[in-house]
Amino acid sequence: MSALLKFLSSFFLCFLAFIFCSSPALAFCGFYVAKADAKLYNQASQVAIARDGNRTVLTMANDYQGDLKDFAIVIPVPTVLKKDQVRVGDPKIMQRLDAFSAPRLVEYYDSDPCARLEEFSRDAMRSNSVLQSPSAAKARRQESLGVTIEEKFTVGEYDILILSAKESNGLETWLTQNGYRLPNGASQLLQPYIRQGLKFFVAKVNLAEKAKSDSQNLRPLMMAFESPKFMLPIRLGMTNARGEQDLLVYLLSPKGQTELVNYRTAKIPSDLEIPTYVKSNFGEFYKAMFNTSHLKEGKSLAFLEYAWDMSSCDPCAADPLSPEELRGAGVFWLDNPNKDAALSNSGRRRPGFFPPTNNSNVFITRLHVRYARNTFPEDLSFKETSNRQQFQGRYILRFPFKGEMKCEAAKEYRKQLRDRQEKEAVILASLTNWNMQDIRRKANITQNQEKNVPFWRNIWRN
Amino acid sequence: MEQSISGFWGRFDRGRWSPHLTKLTTKLSNADGRIYQILFLSIFLGLGVIERDWSLSWSRVGITLSACGFTQVFFALLYQRFNSQDSAQRFPFSGLLSALVTGLSLCLLLRANSDLTMIFAAFTAIASKFIFRIRQKHWFNPANFGIAIALLFGSAWISPGQWGHDLWLMVVFASLGFAVLGKVGRWDTSLAFFASYAALEGIRNFYLGWETDVLLHRLSSGSLLLFALFMITDPRSTPNARLGRIFWAILVGIISFIFQNYLFISAAPFWALFVCAPLSVVFDRLFVGSRFGWLSKRPFAQFSLT
Repeated sequence: MSALLKFLSSFFLCFLAFIFCSSPALAFCGFYVAKADAKLYNQASQVAIARDGNRTVLTMANDYQGDLKDFAIVIPVPTVLKKDQVRVGDPKIMQRLDAFSAPRLVEYYDSDPCARLEEFSRDAMRSNSVLQSPSAAKARRQESLGVTIEEKFTVGEYDILILSAKESNGLETWLTQNGYRLPNGASQLLQPYIRQGLKFFVAKVNLAEKAKSDSQNLRPLMMAFESPKFMLPIRLGMTNARGEQDLLVYLLSPKGQTELVNYRTAKIPSDLEIPTYVKSNFGEFYKAMFNTSHLKEGKSLAFLEYAWDMSSCDPCAADPLSPEELRGAGVFWLDNPNKDAALSNSGRRRPGFFPPTNNSNVFITRLHVRYARNTFPEDLSFKETSNRQQFQGRYILRFPFKGEMKCEAAKEYRKQLRDRQEKEAVILASLTNWNMQDIRRKANITQNQEKNVPFWRNIWRN
Repeated sequence: MEQSISGFWGRFDRGRWSPHLTKLTTKLSNADGRIYQILFLSIFLGLGVIERDWSLSWSRVGITLSACGFTQVFFALLYQRFNSQDSAQRFPFSGLLSALVTGLSLCLLLRANSDLTMIFAAFTAIASKFIFRIRQKHWFNPANFGIAIALLFGSAWISPGQWGHDLWLMVVFASLGFAVLGKVGRWDTSLAFFASYAALEGIRNFYLGWETDVLLHRLSSGSLLLFALFMITDPRSTPNARLGRIFWAILVGIISFIFQNYLFISAAPFWALFVCAPLSVVFDRLFVGSRFGWLSKRPFAQFSLT
């Protein structure tokens, strides 16, 4: 019985290590407009979109590192947002979404070949995604420029303006006159949004409010709106970032996977056995692998890193989010089990922007987009599907049996092990484009084995 | 197209293989567009699975194709029974080719969680040919109809981004597309649709102030090209007269543009075709006397793409 339990536990006890890019800078889809001469670049960002029908809750977290008084951001939004449609989110929620959906490492331990086949696995998980947030500037009204302040309010540490504009030059002038420093070419980028009838969400940090809050970093901004447009503006963000930027989008839907409509999506290579030494530098491995895949696929596509029903995970990189945390991530369609508590305690818990419906399904899609002006000319458009197919980025480490082996089966095991390790090294080399010699050295593949390897394998990989 | 094929094979006629080759030549040049269609669609399906890592199971492809085939045979027999004037005809095997084309189109476009949805779509697609028909013409493109019904009533979806924007893929689509269009004489429909849609997108792009590469990106989608070359060109559900076809295709282009940019419907051309398809019957009435109606004198190359 205990053997059975041990056997079963090997499947359920998974030790997962996750590291995303070693410095996953997070940034907004809009551009930063600084008041000072600070050079501001956004290299990466995290966005969560919870959407059911036309109802949308958008959460944006960024990695702003500069002086808070210099921070300002402009985001095109489909409708005029009132104060109660904007919230400040909990930065931990974004970390939870990231951790839950992150690519994962699974470990298995070979059993003693001389004993009965048993596999043990252990898991661990780390995440180093760091969240910080935005800051802002001033605004005054000048109708002669065709700019109208539709709404003006303060939420958390942010002063927010919702602007509508008639001409991009007017908006640019208005922003400049009001102390925002715009990147070059801003007017040209703003015009298409104005002509599509979009409004502009302008946020800066209210330093007095910020001083009151405990958190060091800026918290994510959340906005709720109804719109048939299911898109994420990325074009503005291209102006003040050098080269390519990373964007992680967590799409939450009650139905199934959310797809990118106007770009192709490829699945990140997954379920591959790689050398065990990768355990200590999984982050580096993942970065190299992502980069290699990105180049191989021609740069202009998104990668699917995770697609899963959020009620479970197997193996889990992090515990599934609680209903409370899901609401924090903007999921508004969950059944609300304790409505009374929500009413009496509304200061502490997020009641959701829309009334809850009878649906407890949440399906998460994690897309990783590395974009630049030349490879992603258009903003991202999405569509909800009923695709329930699950996918995860999962990499397998198989540790050899280290104990004493005195039997005939051990010989066979050692031979298989050598073959397996060689195969893992080849897979790793093709995934990451790392040097085969280095991999062999680090993976400690025995001399014995190298004798069996044709000499050309040292320079050419399969 | 036909000439070039017989010319090519004709060179071998003098050899000792000539009797066999002549047979093959005749078969190839007489083969209706559907043979090419089936070949090309199979190539696309292979490309999708190998080059575009679609998660498509071969068993589902088999089930979909069989469902199309069985529905075709069932309705053909039923139709024959109730139409005494058709009873002299042989068992309509040729309909099976159309069913195969429709089935392949479903596999290329439609994605579903279960085989049952695919069977439902296959049944609806083929049944629509027999239910919505007037004078040997279909109101709807069968695959288009089947997919639309599956999307509306089943748990299915289509992925407009599944092909991406690679240039080599555009070249493959365009060359195979025009090969088959030349055979069926429907390039006018393709061009009229694409030109009207591209013109409207171009005007909008200019008005909004986007750069040219945005427009190129919007127009170079593999799905759009495949639609323009293969789906909208089905002779059985497009107007007979060339002028009628051109006006009709322009209408599909305009509606696609509106669906795409003002109603924010993804896969807009697909839905535009669904809406416009029954109008081809009206266009046939309007343009019936047109001198471009030459194709109606020929037996229909029963060529339903997608």
